[in-house]
Amino acid sequence: MDLHRRFALGEIDAFETLVRQFQGDVYSWIVRIVRDPGVAEDLTVETLWRIYRARHQFRPDGNFGAWARRIASNLALDHLRRKRPEESLLVEPAGAPQPDGLLQRETREKIQQAFRRLPAKLQVAATLALVEEQPYDEIADALGTSVGAVKVRVFRAIRILRKQLSQLGVRPE
Amino acid sequence: MKEHEDKEMTEHEMTEHDDREIRETLKQSFPPVNLELGRDLWPAVLRKLDAQPIRVPWYDWALIALSAAAFLFFPKLILLFAYHL
Repeated sequence: MDLHRRFALGEIDAFETLVRQFQGDVYSWIVRIVRDPGVAEDLTVETLWRIYRARHQFRPDGNFGAWARRIASNLALDHLRRKRPEESLLVEPAGAPQPDGLLQRETREKIQQAFRRLPAKLQVAATLALVEEQPYDEIADALGTSVGAVKVRVFRAIRILRKQLSQLGVRPE
Repeated sequence: MKEHEDKEMTEHEMTEHDDREIRETLKQSFPPVNLELGRDLWPAVLRKLDAQPIRVPWYDWALIALSAAAFLFFPKLILLFAYHL
């Protein structure tokens, strides 16, 4: 019996194999969205736990990685929704590489502040498309929507960001 | 919702490259994150699975209790129920 079928039947050994195979992919997708390694680890564990609980809904002939990524995206989205905008989205540990010297710290903080105020759905789409430069079709698949819908979310995010940045006195480079 | 968003997309005739300006600003604002997972999460997943056995929610127990009571007080309901199965 193949691995997917054994997993769907609840075999813990099959699940362990899948976890070891896909945990890195799930983590990297989540950390791209939440941008905090500690939170991303917790959400990865939560995602894998939910995957096991939802194993009956998994079609053994389906794509496990894509299914896992979709569950991961939903959890990351919920996390951003729960999070207050005042909380820091971007953890910059001491000694972390700075993104670029071109932008002053104050300007960077203003941009991050404006970004955190975006609705979670728009924030996720904009992070994945603009900051992480992920392909639109992959984003759409992970968010369970169409490529067009992702583009609209990115467009809306840009429109809101432009407005907020201009109110904060920041002009995009 | 999807159709609405697709329609809006067409209306604005967007392209993936229209947002280059803001993309550059955002990329400069956000520190890159390390995408590598630092440790094996399987032990943590296993602990979570052990810690939270699948529980039957209270409303399922309530439904079972109600059904049992109904069958006890109105045994003919069993026939009706069996007919509809």
